[in-house]
Amino acid sequence: MAKVKNWQLKRDMDFPYEEKRPKRQWAIIFDLNKCIACQTCSLACKTTWTSGKGQEYMFWNNVETKPYGSYPLAWDVRVLEKLGHQDWAKNGEYQGKTIFEGAEVTEKAVHFNPKDEDWMYPNASEDDCAGNVPAGDHIQLPHDKWFFYLPRTCAHCTYPACLAACPRKAIYKREEDGIVLIDQARCKGYGECVRACPYKKSMYNPHTRTSEKCVGCYPAVEQGLQPMCVQNCIGKIRIMGFINPPWKAREDNPVDYLVHKKGIALPYYPQLGTEPNIYYIPPVHADPAYLTQMFGPNAMDAVAKYRALAKDGVTQGLFMLMGSTDRIMHRFSVKEGQARGFDEAGTEVVSVPVTEPLHVRADWDPKLGAVRNNTP
Amino acid sequence: MRLLLLVTLIFTCANAWGEGLVSRKIDADLSRPDESASYWSGARAETIQLMGQPMIAPRPKTSAVSGLSVQSVHNGKWIAFRLSWKDPSYNEAGKLGEFSDAVAIEFPVKSNETPPPVFMGGKDDPVHVFHWRAQYQRDAEKGKPTMKELYPNMSVDAYPLEFVDSGKIRGISEESREAFSPAKAQGNPQSYAKTGVDELLAEGFGTSSVLPSDDAQGRGRWRTGEWSIVIARKLTRDGASKLEQGKSSFVGFALWDGGSDEVGSRKSVTMSWTPLSLDDGQAPKP
Ligand code: SF4
Ligand code: SF4
Ligand code: SF4
Repeated sequence: MAKVKNWQLKRDMDFPYEEKRPKRQWAIIFDLNKCIACQTCSLACKTTWTSGKGQEYMFWNNVETKPYGSYPLAWDVRVLEKLGHQDWAKNGEYQGKTIFEGAEVTEKAVHFNPKDEDWMYPNASEDDCAGNVPAGDHIQLPHDKWFFYLPRTCAHCTYPACLAACPRKAIYKREEDGIVLIDQARCKGYGECVRACPYKKSMYNPHTRTSEKCVGCYPAVEQGLQPMCVQNCIGKIRIMGFINPPWKAREDNPVDYLVHKKGIALPYYPQLGTEPNIYYIPPVHADPAYLTQMFGPNAMDAVAKYRALAKDGVTQGLFMLMGSTDRIMHRFSVKEGQARGFDEAGTEVVSVPVTEPLHVRADWDPKLGAVRNNTP
Repeated sequence: MRLLLLVTLIFTCANAWGEGLVSRKIDADLSRPDESASYWSGARAETIQLMGQPMIAPRPKTSAVSGLSVQSVHNGKWIAFRLSWKDPSYNEAGKLGEFSDAVAIEFPVKSNETPPPVFMGGKDDPVHVFHWRAQYQRDAEKGKPTMKELYPNMSVDAYPLEFVDSGKIRGISEESREAFSPAKAQGNPQSYAKTGVDELLAEGFGTSSVLPSDDAQGRGRWRTGEWSIVIARKLTRDGASKLEQGKSSFVGFALWDGGSDEVGSRKSVTMSWTPLSLDDGQAPKP
């Protein structure tokens, strides 16, 4: 085992291979306050990548209702319960074991092995809330019942458990963008990645007898375009870009800004130790203990920052850029009420007002002699 | 502990169990494996000890199968091995989490005095592997299972490019359909129907690559808690291993118990090479 730096844990950890960060790292940020579980992302991915034989129940992108929704069934609680204590020190350093550190000598990672049936309920518990709603209950603010939607892709981890566990070395992480791929010509379908990935984002195709996973839409990314699940997001809750480690963070990089500068987007279950590269802006209304378990010790800090956004024009502007262009934004700026995104060459690819102009129309249209209303 | 084991392995790598396995010369067609042929009754059985692969994780916690009985016969052109072991369950693989019973035999490619590392060979010192799986035999006998066979109750609207078009739409070929099955489109041998046994070359763990199918065969039967498999090969394959009548070589074994979720590096293996000598038919019959 090598010692590698995991900034999400604020410490070094054990990993079977040496630390080798790619030139740049693919990353998606999701604003969980805005996801409506329309599953457009799931379908965008499905129609692009997994409409073939053996992929019938395969969703590289899925959206599950937390706390109970899960695909495959109970993936999160089943890996967490095997990991044991997951405590964080006051300074934000992780004190428990990662899946690599806690593994038995015969294994590469702490894991649970999902059964075929576990993958057959991608919509399990959709819209179920965290508590019972008694008869006669009514809404009070803040809500005492909660749930939220969690869209998930492969996290193209810096330290991928799938890659670590493959005895054939058929999984590789691309130098140019950090995307983790299974070589479909070499994979023999042992399913070690399906067992080892703690997020359960490697899946088995019984028709090709190989394992398959999210490819990060690399053909789009190579052309400077965001992935299909990002481009097609109805709620405009996503942005894909390239994240730097904190010691190389750039304030004008949209992903670095939200993760490192602002600290409002957090990795999920960082304690697992793979340094996942999908980041979430936690929902403001969910149970703090649950959010802290899922997003680490800074979860409530991120919630507080979200609540204070009305005073933060720059972040507001960046949020307006989410879902406003199909192109990957390497740089952004917010000035004089206008948010702009730029591609790698520095060319402006999008420009949007931070606050949409407000038009007030009279409720009576004298020309048509009709009452105006908002119903289309 | 692991180091000690390694050292022991290096020193025992060419250790023999008695005189090893003797392949008797007979006069019979061996190109079609037949585990119930009468010639097997005259072939001496060697017991080969196996243990859970101890070198690299992921690996088994225990040895699912600890012994294998092996016999061999040859006819000057072909050599056959009959391998039997106890296994309470028949496992064929198919869906996620189902793994196949399987067995493999390996031979050094170079005829050096010291054979390569018994665990899948070494750099520039390859091994030639014959890998039989119950799943591969099923492919050969009944065809590769369709999705309908694997999931009889699954309902699917349509697969890409699979519709009846009364011949009006051109350019739809099996190849264009396979573009929707990445591993097939990549020509991965795992995704195509097998002939019963895979031939591979390997130069260490995780390096094996499948050779184009030659004439090697593997067939067997599971009966009342016991597998009996015959793997038959030609004595010589160019670019791979060569066996010669009247001479000695080595053979190694690996075994997977599908019922114990064994696959890939989760397997039981021989910890040393077994000497293999092919008699020349002149030796007096016992
Ligand atoms: S498309 Fe966007 S809003 Fe809809 S479910 Fe997916 S992430 Fe949520
Ligand atoms: S999320 Fe899972 S499949 Fe994706 S890179 Fe990480 S360990 Fe591998
Ligand atoms: S990045 Fe592409 S392959 Fe991955 S989940 Fe999104 S659409 Fe699917």
